[in-house]
Amino acid sequence: MELDANAFGRSARKALLDKTLQEALGRTTGRFVAHRDAAVAAFPEFEATRERASRIKRDVLDHLDTYLARFIGEAEKRGAIVHVARDPAQAREIAARIARDEGVTLAVKSKSMAAEEISFNEALQGAGVTVVESDLGEFIIQLAGEAPSHIIAPAVHKTREEISRLFERHLGEPRTDSIPELVGMARKHLRAKFLSAGMGVSGGNFLAADTGSVVLVTNEGNGRMGTVLPRVHLAVVGIEKIIPRMADLPTFLRLLPRSTSGQTISSYVSILTGTRRPGDPEGPERMHILLLDCGRSAILEGKYREILKCIRCAACLNACPVYQSVGGHAYGWVYSGPIGAVLTPLLVGLPEAAALPDASTLCGACADVCPVKIPLPDFLLELRSDAREQGLKTPGEIAAMKGYAGVMKRAGLLEAIERIAGVLGQFFTKGKGIGGMPYPFSGWTERRDFPAPAARPFRKRWKIKRGVMR
Amino acid sequence: MTYTTGMDPKEPIPVSLFFTCLADAFSPGVCGATVEVLERFGATVRVPLSQTCCGQPAFNSGNRKEARAMARKFLRSFPDDGYIVTPSGSCAAMVKHGYPVLFRDEPRMLARARAVGERIYELSQFLVDVLGVTDPKSDFSGKVTYHDSCHLRRGLGVVEAPRKLLRAVPGVEFVEMEESDRCCGFGGVFSVKYPQISCKMTERKVERILATGASYVTSGDLGCLLNIGGLISRIGYPVKAIHLAEILAGKTAGRWDAG
Amino acid sequence: MNERESLFRRLSAACAGHDGAAAGEPLPDGAPTAPEGDRVALFAKTFTAAGGVLFRGPVETALSDLGETLRAEGVTSLFFPEGDAAAREIAEALVPFGPFNLTTGAEVRGGSAEVTAGFSSAEAAIAETGTIVETSAGGKTLLPGLIADVHVSIVPAASVVVRMEEALAAFTAYPPRNISFLSGPSKTADIEQTLTVGAHGPKKAIALLLAQDTLSLLPRLEPRVSR
Repeated sequence: MELDANAFGRSARKALLDKTLQEALGRTTGRFVAHRDAAVAAFPEFEATRERASRIKRDVLDHLDTYLARFIGEAEKRGAIVHVARDPAQAREIAARIARDEGVTLAVKSKSMAAEEISFNEALQGAGVTVVESDLGEFIIQLAGEAPSHIIAPAVHKTREEISRLFERHLGEPRTDSIPELVGMARKHLRAKFLSAGMGVSGGNFLAADTGSVVLVTNEGNGRMGTVLPRVHLAVVGIEKIIPRMADLPTFLRLLPRSTSGQTISSYVSILTGTRRPGDPEGPERMHILLLDCGRSAILEGKYREILKCIRCAACLNACPVYQSVGGHAYGWVYSGPIGAVLTPLLVGLPEAAALPDASTLCGACADVCPVKIPLPDFLLELRSDAREQGLKTPGEIAAMKGYAGVMKRAGLLEAIERIAGVLGQFFTKGKGIGGMPYPFSGWTERRDFPAPAARPFRKRWKIKRGVMR
Repeated sequence: MTYTTGMDPKEPIPVSLFFTCLADAFSPGVCGATVEVLERFGATVRVPLSQTCCGQPAFNSGNRKEARAMARKFLRSFPDDGYIVTPSGSCAAMVKHGYPVLFRDEPRMLARARAVGERIYELSQFLVDVLGVTDPKSDFSGKVTYHDSCHLRRGLGVVEAPRKLLRAVPGVEFVEMEESDRCCGFGGVFSVKYPQISCKMTERKVERILATGASYVTSGDLGCLLNIGGLISRIGYPVKAIHLAEILAGKTAGRWDAG
Repeated sequence: MNERESLFRRLSAACAGHDGAAAGEPLPDGAPTAPEGDRVALFAKTFTAAGGVLFRGPVETALSDLGETLRAEGVTSLFFPEGDAAAREIAEALVPFGPFNLTTGAEVRGGSAEVTAGFSSAEAAIAETGTIVETSAGGKTLLPGLIADVHVSIVPAASVVVRMEEALAAFTAYPPRNISFLSGPSKTADIEQTLTVGAHGPKKAIALLLAQDTLSLLPRLEPRVSR
């Protein structure tokens, strides 16, 4: 997917003015949050499960080399062909080669953020393969020629009217304002694709190291269809999706759907291990697993390693008031919300996405809901500090900070400045708020007043009333 | 951590006031109100006059070099023992959680920062958890709603203390707003870097405040109140943003009016 | 050095010195505690909560209710896997409640115009989540729960387990190609966050819960996962 993360400010302003998007965001994120909170409240073991999952994931990161080797060995023992890609270009090359070698002309794909990361569809189209997105939201987005705006609900910004227009234009379906009818149209269209596709492409929510299994969690059942019906199954998965044992799966299944949508469990969980066995009436004859490094081993080496615990539930997006205000497109890449603000700079390089760590008030709502306890606000702060160290801050900001720190060094100097500001402030505002401030504070005063400095600061009042103490 | 209730009222409790640079310059009445409330419950308030800013704006914007300089200054300004109390959840959280990050590579400073972090309290937290105050003895009256500042609630875990105090003021009709724990959009440098998003969040907060029909919105952080109050004053809504300390001080807050 | 070796070299370097966050200390469990009522009652509750429709009680009544429901759904043909005797028996027993044709999975797979109900025996059922467990173990087909418009799972009461761990335990040593947890109908909320069924899989998920004593009536209904 094309990267435009540093345009966050501009894209966000556009999003704020987009009426349809604002309506959709208002309707959806609130519901996600309410459902998630209700599901957590109804599950007394949530905190214990969260702690368990967090520790299992930390153990995985501490021994990722061992667990990944185990996963590859077990998967290959059961007939899967495992590939590893160092970077997105190499991953695209491998994916295209797999499709060519397997003689595939049509592939059905279920949702995969990992595949988005490497621009998978473009790679296959380059190899002459038609890729049909089978997740309903992704399918709609594909018809519209856009990028998804949410890890879990990619078409969150599209209304039924827009979708019906798309179906009319691309599928030749009559216009309708009935959502079940729209779903039925997509079902009919996509069923035909599932039955004729040579390859099903999936991501992977979890990789069980002890059995070499790829685990898929979906509500629509597209992941299930695409991994049972076509002759070839290709799973594109980040190496951090490992869990040690299949027996650990229930722990994560208790967290993921609750955190995402407030469901006790998603409609479909598929645990897929190797190729079809002799005597199996269906299932893929060939299974490829494309494991992505694409920056992950480098993250593992540094101070942000815990970000690799993420299970892509999107709870942090839904809880984030910034995401709720601007939606996902503004973040300019695959991942949005707090996880995107941390993960994107780490995967594509901070200079390419330095605007994102600033896109947070550090309110901490994300850390509250993270089911694997990733300290997202701490990481945002750490990235802002990295930006300074890497010379990515504007000279203006640095000069302002230096000046401010200089003033704060001496209480006497601060007091003198406060006195001048107080006199000026009172003179110009007559004690009321300031309605217009110069850049960089002009944005603040566009719709809000800024307080006028007090004529007599507290320090002075204390000295007058109580005499000087130290 | 010292956690005592039912302290002997005759025993003076030395408290250093960390009045915060924001309140000093923009709302000195909040600092005065804090002094009034602390003294009402037996504290001997000392005000280290060399204090300036805890360095949070620099820390939160990633400018750690400057933040570290301010943190050193803060640690020098306050005495080595006794409670430090501040009318700001955000500034207390900075000292408690931010300083150990700033000094993670300096063991001696780290130990000092941690020790100070153990002694620092936000006002309502100090009143309820340390002094065991159940009745703030305030003569304030009016219909009040409370906004949870993010750093007081999530940073320090203080949720009930301010509510307990507000409910105990006889003249206060306390009413909860929807989404009281949702960020008001201030976020320090965030409101300067992304003012439109910030404002969008503030508008939603103000909508929730107005829906309660309260005459006052209060909070434990002046930053939030300046932000919320700035929008309220621009539109001219019939509600006033006022610091929790001012409600607890009641009429005695007037003793600190500029004059 | 090939790409795989180079990856492992990078990973080993990154893992070095990070040992055992989880070492020593026992993990908190996190699995839900045993239900207050019995596991079958809990399953009935959770399966319904997941959007499924449950039929239980005397087998004759359950069959007649099921037949009614299938007719109401506009089902015209019933299909069952060749080797699934219980599914066959139930499907055949339902014909008089029709008109229903009996058809094969192959026809349905080819894309028939009929509204189909697929029948299959559940491998296990999970009370914690309201889940039907199906697998490809032993050459079983997954088509009834995959491509039919309505899926009917036959669930002997003895096959209901409380927690997911119990259902998985039977497969961890030799996992089949496909282990599926099915919990309610195929759902989507991708359009305006409006919950809609039948995105890809069955629009209706039905469980026919057979009590222990009906096993004598239908002698081949044996639980696959013993408790």
